[in-house]
Order: sequence, then structure tokens, then C-alpha cells
Amino acid sequence: MSDPFTLDVIQQALSAIAEEMFVVIKRTAMSPIIYEVLDVGTGITDAEGNMVSSGAGIPGFVGVLDKCVQALRQRIPPDSIRPGDIYITNDPYTGGVTHLNDAVLAMPVFAGGTLVAWVANIGHWSDIGGSVPGSMAVDARDIWAEGLRLPPIKLIDAGVANEPVLAILAANSRLPDFLRGDLWSAVASLRKGNERIIRLVETYGHADFTAAITDYFDYAERHARAGLARLPKGRFPLAETMDDGTQWHAVIEITDEHFTVDVREAPDQVALPFNTSRDGALIAAQLIFKMATAPDTVCNAGSYRPLRFLTRPGSIFDATEPAPHGYYSEIRIRLADMLWHRLAEAAPEMFPAGHFASICGTVIAGRHPHTGRRFTMVEPQMGGWGATATRDGNSAMYSSNHGETFNCPVEIAEARYGFTYRRYAFNDEPGGEGLHSGGPGIAIEYAIGGGETTLSAGYTRNKAPVWGLAGGAPGTTNRIEVDRIGGDHERHAFVSGLKLAPGDVVRILTARGGGWGKAG
Amino acid sequence: MTLLSRVATDVGGTFTDLVYFEADSDTGRQTIRTAKSDTTPPDFERGILDVLDKAGIALPDLRFFTHGTTLVINALTERKGVMTGLITSSGFRDILEIGRGNRPAFFDAHYRKPPPFVPRGLRREIGGRMTYRGEETAPLDLAPLGAILADFRAAGVGAIAVCLLHAYANPAHERATLAAIKAAWPEVPVVGSHQITREWREYERTNTTVLSAYVQPIAERYLDRLEASLAGRGFGGQIYIMQSNCGVDSLAATKAIPITMVESGPASGVWAAAELGRGLGIGNVLALDIGGTTAKCALIEGGRVQIKTDYWIERSRTSAGYPIMVPVVDIVEIGNGGGSIAWVDDFAKLHVGPQSAGAMPGPAAYGRGGHEATTTDANLALGRINPDYFCGGDMVADMAAVGGALDRVAARIGVPAMAAARGIVRIANNNMINALKMVSINRGHDPRDFTLVAFGGGGGMHAAALAAELGVRHVIIPRGAAVFSAWGMMMSDLRRDYFVTRLIEQADGDPAPLLAALVNEVEAQATAQYGAEGVAAGAVRFQRLVKCRYQNQEHTVEVELPAGAIDAEAVAALAGEFHRVYEREYTYRLAAPMEIVGLHLVAAAEIGKLGFPPLSATGAPLESARKGRRSVDFAQEGVHDSDIYDADRLEPGMAFPGPAVIEESGTTIVVHPGQHAHIDGFGHVHIEVPQ
Repeated sequence: MSDPFTLDVIQQALSAIAEEMFVVIKRTAMSPIIYEVLDVGTGITDAEGNMVSSGAGIPGFVGVLDKCVQALRQRIPPDSIRPGDIYITNDPYTGGVTHLNDAVLAMPVFAGGTLVAWVANIGHWSDIGGSVPGSMAVDARDIWAEGLRLPPIKLIDAGVANEPVLAILAANSRLPDFLRGDLWSAVASLRKGNERIIRLVETYGHADFTAAITDYFDYAERHARAGLARLPKGRFPLAETMDDGTQWHAVIEITDEHFTVDVREAPDQVALPFNTSRDGALIAAQLIFKMATAPDTVCNAGSYRPLRFLTRPGSIFDATEPAPHGYYSEIRIRLADMLWHRLAEAAPEMFPAGHFASICGTVIAGRHPHTGRRFTMVEPQMGGWGATATRDGNSAMYSSNHGETFNCPVEIAEARYGFTYRRYAFNDEPGGEGLHSGGPGIAIEYAIGGGETTLSAGYTRNKAPVWGLAGGAPGTTNRIEVDRIGGDHERHAFVSGLKLAPGDVVRILTARGGGWGKAG
Repeated sequence: MTLLSRVATDVGGTFTDLVYFEADSDTGRQTIRTAKSDTTPPDFERGILDVLDKAGIALPDLRFFTHGTTLVINALTERKGVMTGLITSSGFRDILEIGRGNRPAFFDAHYRKPPPFVPRGLRREIGGRMTYRGEETAPLDLAPLGAILADFRAAGVGAIAVCLLHAYANPAHERATLAAIKAAWPEVPVVGSHQITREWREYERTNTTVLSAYVQPIAERYLDRLEASLAGRGFGGQIYIMQSNCGVDSLAATKAIPITMVESGPASGVWAAAELGRGLGIGNVLALDIGGTTAKCALIEGGRVQIKTDYWIERSRTSAGYPIMVPVVDIVEIGNGGGSIAWVDDFAKLHVGPQSAGAMPGPAAYGRGGHEATTTDANLALGRINPDYFCGGDMVADMAAVGGALDRVAARIGVPAMAAARGIVRIANNNMINALKMVSINRGHDPRDFTLVAFGGGGGMHAAALAAELGVRHVIIPRGAAVFSAWGMMMSDLRRDYFVTRLIEQADGDPAPLLAALVNEVEAQATAQYGAEGVAAGAVRFQRLVKCRYQNQEHTVEVELPAGAIDAEAVAALAGEFHRVYEREYTYRLAAPMEIVGLHLVAAAEIGKLGFPPLSATGAPLESARKGRRSVDFAQEGVHDSDIYDADRLEPGMAFPGPAVIEESGTTIVVHPGQHAHIDGFGHVHIEVPQ
């Protein structure tokens, strides 16, 4: 048997490599959504596609890449996979997990002629075609309306770029320069990871490398099971009414051995971009399971061994072709929030009250008033977090689906987009009172500077307010408003391609978190 | 006879250190003295005078007094600053508390956002607005100022920070606000963001201004008392204060903006390593400083330290921390030193650090009741540290306590005690390797192109193993490695790093005149500032680093712009160099145009060069330095009988192969089997590491 310290050194190295891949993308990507918002993830899987380690800006992307590598392995004939190859996919039905904006690149790692691992990354591309700038139309009836689909294909063949594919990609984006920049940044990240893993295997040998991965999975599983043991046991059915009036049902069942999330009773898929693939919904279950069992340790395939996830094909959580996926992330976060709510009710001391729980994705495309260049701003919003049994909730942070996500400084946004910010402050509206109070969301206002500007947005938690816990008051809701220069006032939650004129003011208001306990 | 004499004092948490150097220009005779005394809070100057007395320094004869202190970082981490009020542009007072919205512990639902240093009630707003191009779109409205200051006085505010939007591009509103505050309330310390930094990013700039104001009264009082105490003893020379950018600065400049001292301790060690390399003709250096609690590393390329303004305190995997946007040497610090505690988690995995046994109780070997095994204890058990010469013979190592502590660790993992000791050393080494990779590989550098200069009490113990793992061929352990950092303080130039954001876009037309204007403006500012302090314009050296990026990108790379005219040709050369630097770091280049985002100007002035003093050889044979032989466990290479050398008897020209151990009072140097050591003309130990 290998000595435990050697295995540990290899595990640490694998974790450092995923982190290094992440740093490369962060420093070279072209789109703010990648380098600033860090809507990007990097990962290393074993030869079979099981997640070994990941570097990610957001928890939602920790659990994506293994699924892509596994899907890719099913479709690519093994003997066609060569050193130096890089594959690309963004299609939720054949290889991607999320929506067409998320491009996944994956590279096989060969050491001594053997495929020993995969390195992969995912990043949100600002525009991949479709009917609206930013590619996320709220009225898309099918996936073809959302832009270019890429089943798993070779982007780079044994080190040589597939130029026709690059040409197709560039021709299908409103922002081809950004696409090229983001693509090469992703390639650089994979090549770095590939080089590092080869060196690692050469240093320690294939046997210790494999043993280290196996041991790493087991270690993470032990963490998860220790956390599972602390959770309340039983069957916890749940139901929640959404902004559109539909009711979603699910069941969490916790035993000594398993944590099962059953969403088979979910509504049927819709001909609107409010569906997700099974793997996309699975990420919500993984997120909540991880949060509940082992929030502060390693995360790999072993972490999720006790988790079971049951879906029904044809439902919003297991959509089949050709359902569109543009706002899959709102579907995913609604599911995560629902599961969190039910667990918190079962064990109120262990979890905070609800948070604003929406990506609040906001896309503004337009022309810069000074430079005349086109820009596309794609960003999530911060909001209020819930109080806990011991303290008030956090103010203005990104949602549970985000993590190392950074807002864009006002000073940079004004230069980059030509907006004029009027306010960047807490949303002081009342709500979330309790023994401990929910934290405030944000109130951001800016006036549009240049022409040819359109707004797209997807905000949930727009009607039913954030839930309080243990007698604490509910928080508030999320919305986006537009004050027209002519004096009209609009309020939106889901909108795409909304035309804005110079001088129109956009106001973003996000919810206050829920209170915890009855106010003394 | 002319005597060049200077002294450096360094006030740490526990001890105040002193290094004294004098050189007689007639005889060439050099004298070096070191001394240590207790740090004496809150009257720190007492400890400084104590250590000067202890070393027998006659202050009236002294020309240079260089000083470093952890006062600022301690005041910040212990929250011992003054109540601070903040004034911002209207609509933006919550920026300080909103921060960047990130959550590093992203699976942790109980994550706690770091609370701001100024509560909401003391964050106030005034009207007026600038654009990112520095144009005024709304005039400054100081009407609310009277009421704001009245409220601040009533609340007991002790310092005021002012940070207005786009003040980096045009500080006129900030200047007018500062003037109005000074007129209305002359005795309150007040600082504007533009006085500290001219870079964009309002959260970082606001927080920096707030933290500077927060520590300003404390730092000023401290420096005033230091100045008075020295003057009281007849000192009539120059006082310089060590800064975080590896330079020193004047007392007056430091009093105004004390936040620039925040990382002065690590900076002096990095600078000493850079100077050591320069003296030996080695430009590429990895500096590694291993102390009791932490290890710090930095990369020096072509003799140049890397200075950045992306510095954060209290940032970790569990906290977003607080940004301080001042020039700080680019270091990575990890909680891994000689006193780091080895522990086993609930799932039988061994970890080392970041908890440290500190000085009390200290490692188990101190025999002061420390029950937990530390890296030092593991090194003792493996025979790498001599139990009979522990801490220079000042202390008898409690080997029974060491054995007990290691047994407890070993039992939890299920291995023999010696295997656990080897494991501790390997895990500690691995932590440090990852830190060294972060400053080299993660920044696009190959460690194999660098010489590792290791110092601090633990540098010599681990350096050779780290080098072997990283592919580094050459290691240097400086003479007096344990107090090496203090040398840096005596070797530093006056140095100021000016970071200025100025977007020069394609739409602005020909970039050459715009860049030339920017460079001239900042160079003139630096010259004027030095001039006001009596430094002649001719004595100031500039290094122009232009911050460039591909159009639409955010993060920039620094590209050096040579001295001389800034014309179309110079800009074209700059672009060529940008593509080259970018590709080296990131493996690809783009056809996209280059954009200039700003300038990093280094303005330095020498204040009398000091080199490392040569060590003379008596011609004694190597034998005279050999203390004996003992069995040493090298962890990965196993157990070997090794020669033990006395560092104080090693002379220039001596050379010997590993396995060997060099013992010095403050440190132990381990030379692994297959490696070769030799002593250079300065008494530094060089280790050649075969690959």
C-alpha cells in the first residue's frame, strides 16, 4: 500500500492544479461575466469522469464538469481520443449540463500513453446567438431559439485548432472577439492543467496517482456520512407556490445511509426557457446536500455518494428535447431554496432563514457613448440573506448558487458601459424582522448612456417573499424597474430585448432576507 | 576617519530587534552588532531605547536610523484604531459595507460577512459628481458638511476618511472637501483617497482610506514619540520608516499615510534577498522566510521585486477579508512555521498548521507544557535539529515530551511515531511548496529558473528539500539567516510606487502623447514630493511600468517602458513587449488591440548603499568546523549518518557534500544526501541540488 503522506501530497497537488486552472481563466478571460463575476469553473476528473477536484467561483459549477466528461465519454469513440485533443460542448441534451451560454471545454490527460484523467472547464459566454443579445430570450419556445448548439466535438485535434469550427462559433455570436478571447483563455487553462497532471503522474507513478484519487473519494465520503449522521431522519414532503402560481412538490427522505431527493411530482416541462436538464437539477440537490453535511471540506465524487436523486423525464427538472433552458439557473435555485426551506423547518437551529434566492440575471447590451463599441453586460445581483439562530442575516451578497462572485465596481462599470450610477446602496424597505433580522438587499440605480440598448432580466422570488424561520417575519421580493425619460414607470421580473433610451433609469431592488425567531 | 554607521530597529510583537553596521572608510574595517530586547507596549519607544542601550549605540554619532514596526497591522487586526467617520459621494455610503458581495466559503450557509470598520451611522454623503474621465457633471455641494462634522464630534470620531467616486481621475472635489474639514475642525486627522491611491475600484479605495484614517492618530503619536526620544538622546540624523513596497520613506510622509507600513516586516526580508542576489549576480530569486508561525514567499525577477496593490488582510478560505490598495510586495503567506501544530482530523488525515504553539507554551520540546507536536518537534525526533544544541544551546530539548506528542499523533493515524514525524515534515514541506508555486508557477514563472534564498529561523531546515521538489538547482542560506530581514531595512532605498489609473482607449486617438503626458505628470509629482523633502531631482531614478491589456479585458500586465522619448515608436515597442509578456504568462496571444489602463511609476533615491560585509578566511581546515557525526532522518531519503558542522567556524571556500547538518545558534541548515554545500566570501551557505 502507498504511504498515506504520499497520497496526501498528490491530493493536495490535484486540488492546487484545479485552482491554478481557475486562476488562468480569471486572469485572461475577455468577458466580465467570467473574470469579474467568476461565472466559471474548472475541474479534474479521473479517467472515468468522476470529479476529483475543482476550482470554481460558484458552487453551482463545482458539480457540472464530471457530468459533461461522462456524457462526452459516451459519445466519443475511445480510440479517437488523442493527446492534445480538446473537446467543446454547450448542449444540455448531448453533453452540456446547463444552458447554451455555458461552454464546456474538456481535455484528456495522457501520461505514458495512458489516459489518466480529464481536465475541463465551463464558462458563461456572453453571446452565442439566438434571438436576443445575450442569448437568453424569455420567450424562447424551443432550444433552437437560444443560439448555437454544440454537441461534443473536437475543437482542437491533437494540438491543432479546428479552424472551421472556430469560424462557425465566431459567425454565430454577436460578440465574436469576446468569444475568441474567452475560448483561448479556456484552452490555456486546460493546457496548464494537462501539463501539471502529466508531471504529477511522472513524479509519483500511475499506481500512487490512482490510489490517491481512490483514497480522496473515500475521505470525502467519510465527511459526507459524518454530516449525514447529524441530520434529522425521516420523510419530509414539501410544496411551494411559485411566482407564476404553479405549485412544485418534492420529497426529501433522510435515512442513516441515504439522502434522497425525489422531484418526480414536478410540473411538466414548458415551451418556455424555464426548464433544466436532469444534471442541472441534480446540482441543486448536490448543493443542498453538501451545505447540510460537509460545508467546509473537500468536494469530489465521494462527497455525493450518499445522495440519491429521482426525476421524471418530461418534467421541468428533467426536460427532453426541444425544451429551452435559458433560465435553467432560476429553476435550479428555486429547487435548492425549496429543499433548504424544508430542511430548515426540520432543524431550525442548523440553518439560516431564507435568502433572496434568485440569480437576478441582468443583461444589458448596447453601444458605448464614448467609444462607440458594442458591449454586453451580463451580471447576477446581490441580495439579503436570512438571520440565523444566533445573529442577524448578512447584507448584500450573491445567492447560494454563487460564491467567489464579485460585483463590478461602479467606477469600472461607468467606464465600460457608459452608465451613470445614481445609487449603489442597501435596499432599506422593511421586512425580515425577528429575534434576529434578515439582512438588506441592494438598491442600484443607473442611467443609460448610449444608444441601441436593450435589457433582459430574469428575477424570481418576485411575488412570494423570502421565508422567515422559527417565527421570524418574511423578507421581501426581487424586482427590476425602469423609469423612462418621458416619466413612465415600469416594473419587471422576466423580460428580454426591452429597448432602453439614453437617460432611462434602471433600478434594481433585491429582497431582504428572512427573520429568525419571534421578535422579543 | 569617516565612519558610515546605521542602525535598523524592528519592533515585533514579542521582541524589538536591532542590527547595527559601521564601516570605517579609511581602514575598511566593518563592525556589525545585533541585539534584542523586550517590546514594551504601549510605550514602544522605551523598548527601542533599551535595545539601543543594550547594543551600546551612541546616537549622536549615528546618521541613519531605519525603523520597522508591526504597529499598523496589529492595530488593524486587534481593532485598536480610533473611531472613524467616512464621507462619500451621495448615494454611495453603503459601498463600504456591500463590499464585493463574494463568499469564499461557498457551501457554508453560516458564512459571516466581514463587518465594516465604519458603521452605517458614521457613513455620510455629500453632493457632487465626477465621471471616469475626470469631468465634473455635478458641482461639489458641501452644504451638509457642517451637520456631518457636528454629528462626528458628538459621536467621538477621532479621524475622518473621504472617498468620492472617480477621485482617482480628478481629485478636485476631494481636495476641496479636505480643505473645508480642516478649516472647520483643524485638529481632526483627515485623509482623502487620492492622497493614498490614484487607482479605480471604489470599494477597495474607500476601505483603504478608512483603514488609513483608523490607524493614523495612533501611528502619528507613535512616530512623534519615537522622534522625540531619539532627539532627546542627541540623534541628529535621518529617520526612515520601512514600507510595504520594500523601500523606506520619511517620517513625515509615513505619519500622513501610515497604512503604507502595513506589510513592512515581510518586505524587508524580501528586499534583503533581492540585494543578496544582486550582489552575487543572481537576478532570479525565490525568497522564503520561515518563522515560528508563518512562512512567507516572494518572487524576484531580474533583480526586481514585484509590487502590487491587490493586498488584503484577513482574507482566507473562510473570509472575504479587507482590501488595502497600497503598494505591497507580492508575497504569499501561509500558516506554516516551526511552531505550527500537527493535528489529525476526524477522518485520520494529518494536517500541519495554521495553528501555532507560539512562544508559550511553544513546541513540546520547550518543556513548558505544550502537548501538541509541532514541526520543530518532528525535526528534533528525526535528528535534524540537535537536541543538545536546541535554540543555540539556550534550552534543553524535552525529548520525552516530544516523544509523547508524536505518539499521540501517530496513534490517531495508525503509524509508528517516526513515520508520523516524517509525515509532519513532508506535509509541512508540501504546504510550503504550494505557497512557492503560488508565487512562481501561478504567476507564469518556472521555479527551475530561480535560486531559492531561504532565511528566518526555519529557512535552512526545509529549503533543500523544497528545492529538490520544485526542481530548483541552487539554494542560498544567508549568514545570520535568523535576523536576515533586518538587513533589508538597512539596504533599502527611498522608494515610492505611484499607481495611477488612466484609460487610454483607441477612441482617444494617438496614444503616444496621452501616455507621455501621464508619465510626465506622475514623474513631476514624484520629483516635487521628493524635492519638498530635500531630495534633489537628479537623485531620483524612475522605472516606468505601463499597465496594459487586450481591449475589453480587465486584468492588466505591467510592461516596462524604457527611459526616453515617448513617441509612436516607443508605443509600438511597448505593444510588442506586451504581446511577448502576455504570451509567456498565458500561452497565447490575440489579434486584439492593446489598451493602456494606467501607470505604475517607481521613483527611488539611494540613501547610501550598504552591501553585505565580506567574511575573511583564516585558512583553517574544514575539519575545524566539524562538530561530529550523527544519524539524521531525511524523511524521503531515509536515515543517513551525517557530518555536523558549526556555522560559526565555517569559512569562505569550505565545501562538503551532504548528508550534512550545519548548526547555528538561531537556525539549522540541512544538506540532503547527494547535495553539495560551499561557503562563499560573505559566509552565505550555497547548496547545489542535483536534479
